[in-house]
Amino acid sequence: MRQPRLRAVTRRLGTGLVVLWAATSAAYLALLAAPGDTVDAIVGDGADTPQIRAEIITEWALDRPAAVQYLDYLRRLAEGDLGRSYLLQRPVAEVIGEQLTATLTLAVTAAGLGVLLAIALATATAGHRRPWLRRASSGLELVLVSTPTFLIGIVLLTVFSFRLGLFPVAGDQGVAALVLPAVTLALPIAGLLAQILRDALDRALDEPFVLTARSRGTRESAVLLRHALRHALLPTITLAGWLFGTLLGGAVIVEQVFGRPGLGQVTLAAVTGKDMPVVLAVVTLSAAVYVVVNTAADLAYLLVDPRLRRS
Amino acid sequence: MPAPHLRTLTAVALVALLAGVTGCSTDAAPASDAASQPRSGGTLTWAIETEPITLNPHLYAQAKARLLVWNTFESLLSYDQQGKLVPWLATGWQTTPDGRSYTVTLRDKVTFSDGTPFDATAVKANIDKLREPGYAPAVAAVQLRNLDTVEVVDARTVRLTLTNPDVLILDFLASPQGAQVSPKSLREAKNLKAGGVDLAGTGPFVLDRYVPGQELHYKRNPGYDWAPPSATHTGPAYLDGITYRFLKESAVRIGALTSGQVQLIEGVPATDQQLITANPRLRLIRQLNSGSAYSYYFNTSRTPFDDLRVRRAFREAVDVDTVLKAVYRDTAVRAWSVISPSSPLYDKRLDGSYGGNAITANALLDQAGWTRRDADGYRVKDGRRLTVRLVQAAPFVRDRRDVLAQAIQAAVKQSAGIDLKISLVDQGTAQEAFDTNQYEVFDNSRADTDAGAALNLLLHSQGGINRTRVNDPRIDQLLDTGQATADPAGRASIYADLQQRVVVDQALLLPLYAPADQIAASTTVGGVRFEPTAGVPASAYDLWIGN
Repeated sequence: MRQPRLRAVTRRLGTGLVVLWAATSAAYLALLAAPGDTVDAIVGDGADTPQIRAEIITEWALDRPAAVQYLDYLRRLAEGDLGRSYLLQRPVAEVIGEQLTATLTLAVTAAGLGVLLAIALATATAGHRRPWLRRASSGLELVLVSTPTFLIGIVLLTVFSFRLGLFPVAGDQGVAALVLPAVTLALPIAGLLAQILRDALDRALDEPFVLTARSRGTRESAVLLRHALRHALLPTITLAGWLFGTLLGGAVIVEQVFGRPGLGQVTLAAVTGKDMPVVLAVVTLSAAVYVVVNTAADLAYLLVDPRLRRS
Repeated sequence: MPAPHLRTLTAVALVALLAGVTGCSTDAAPASDAASQPRSGGTLTWAIETEPITLNPHLYAQAKARLLVWNTFESLLSYDQQGKLVPWLATGWQTTPDGRSYTVTLRDKVTFSDGTPFDATAVKANIDKLREPGYAPAVAAVQLRNLDTVEVVDARTVRLTLTNPDVLILDFLASPQGAQVSPKSLREAKNLKAGGVDLAGTGPFVLDRYVPGQELHYKRNPGYDWAPPSATHTGPAYLDGITYRFLKESAVRIGALTSGQVQLIEGVPATDQQLITANPRLRLIRQLNSGSAYSYYFNTSRTPFDDLRVRRAFREAVDVDTVLKAVYRDTAVRAWSVISPSSPLYDKRLDGSYGGNAITANALLDQAGWTRRDADGYRVKDGRRLTVRLVQAAPFVRDRRDVLAQAIQAAVKQSAGIDLKISLVDQGTAQEAFDTNQYEVFDNSRADTDAGAALNLLLHSQGGINRTRVNDPRIDQLLDTGQATADPAGRASIYADLQQRVVVDQALLLPLYAPADQIAASTTVGGVRFEPTAGVPASAYDLWIGN
């Protein structure tokens, strides 16, 4: 019994490592293939003489073949060394480390808010009750999904910060400064999740087990929350990976609009400046989180669906 | 990069909510002038557009970071309101007749904020550090190119010996790269290249908090008593402290200002200036940058701009005034030369000397053999269309230069049948186009305090960004003599000759506008000013809060 489970865990870990390696290598190749060379990127708009170029090449060991640099990068990555940023002239681990908490706090709060809001919207409007509310809700969700995060952020800021003065434009004012960015990021997520969850709830409510529950005299709210919701959460969990991608992409914009610290700003600057060590580290980190999130999603399946536990 | 798209959305969101924002500001206290008398105390918050890549002044490369650098660090020399070099941490300097030796005397009783005394040894330590391989290669290779030795004569005297006469060494001594960092920091700072709280300077403020991506906080240096002559007071700064918040979106900066969350902002786009000027509690001040004007440089190494007549024709085909008016709503100052009109080296004779004559443009193109037109109305010669490519690197597009390019594109097509193709690309792609000579137009402006430094990069045959690819012994000679001539009148006449050569005779470029910086501030804030010569916002030293 233990043996197969151990093997399954090992296999999962192996797959995770392969995903990490593939993501990092793909990013490496993409950056290598991108136009312009690394020395140009480091020189930027500054003074540019043969002497400066030679010094940069020596400092970053750029004169070795790309394959050697790549293998060296992988070796250092395996040792936990993320290298030094070309642009910021600092260790990448330090650059990312000081921004990570800010982005994680924002992403986790937004994900929590988004999921709660989606569940509230979907359970309030699933089934065939209150069709007007259902129409209003799906209309709102469509608007949220299709409005750019940037615009949502500016509108929320203008109303709640600039006009009503309820919240600050980010800054170190703690929880108050987190509200608007988190809501900005949560709204599109909630919009899409609510639609998927409502569909799934509708289907679950047509299943025989719901009829059985109802015939036992279970209250409608209990049918919805205890039986149908559990069933309907499965497709939603599948979206965990997508959710994570959205959060990271959205954070880039939200951090920019609200002047918040975070990985988004660092990533944007690194991509536009072709700061290879930082871009690679962000890709590797994202892949790692993606692997963890998907593994967690698989485990969550086991919790939500008892049938999977038996097999 | 989604930035241009985001800007458009900003405008949409702002217009939609404009009424609300301005309505909000009128129910507050009536407009008061910045309280009449400077007074000490209080703290301010200033929202700035750009987070500096580094806080180490030696590695400074962003014009937008100057206002931060001068809070903590100071240089030996400075510029006064007339653009003349004046002493700062130095008390004076002398040069030998051959221009190869500068003796600089230093102020007494100046200390770095970590307690280290400022003296000749400190100055030498700074310059030695700058010449250390791998530390600041750009400074070592450009500004210190002609520096031979640095010698401590006594505690208050330093002597710089040059290999060639070079007056731009004085501009270096007045620049952030030449700013004095505590020798103790140079040895012990945890992250010297990134700068930060453990880098001590002699300035009126001390950086005591840096939250990357968010803000910088400075507190007053209570013992400060060596302000430069360009400042409006002496002694310690008025403010107890100042916070700089990084707010990259202009709509957010303006919203934060109108709602009173910040008291000052910089970087106000032309389209939003009305929002500030219409608000009685706010004021807007602007100043032209020095250095080089924003211009289109023509690549003379390729057809069609290897032909002087075509270069002239392109300039005549654009009515610059009309284009600027359409794009910047009367807020842009037209440039007539490669040098910004605010620079002391600018040659006024160039005003109105060329441009905007479509008849001349067409005659010149006819003479150059571009006589036929294709079905789309573009001129053609030997089966080739008169196409010129402008390559813009997205990270450097500011002041709506992408929109300006479209306006010029329309103008040259309509008036002369020239096909201007614009590509807005990432920095790597742009660099590749420049390296492989796949462009005909290159756009650029530089904010150097001494225009000579900018021109060396742009026009010298050996210049780092000589993208006109001009190789003209006369231009090189003028640039070299300009760099070696100390007498201001002589220098001005050399650079006047240079401007005649480059702009009038050779038509190497189309000057467009003089870049400017803007500050919008609450009327309760006093002492808001720009740095003389550079034209960028000054440090927080003179700022004060009225009642």
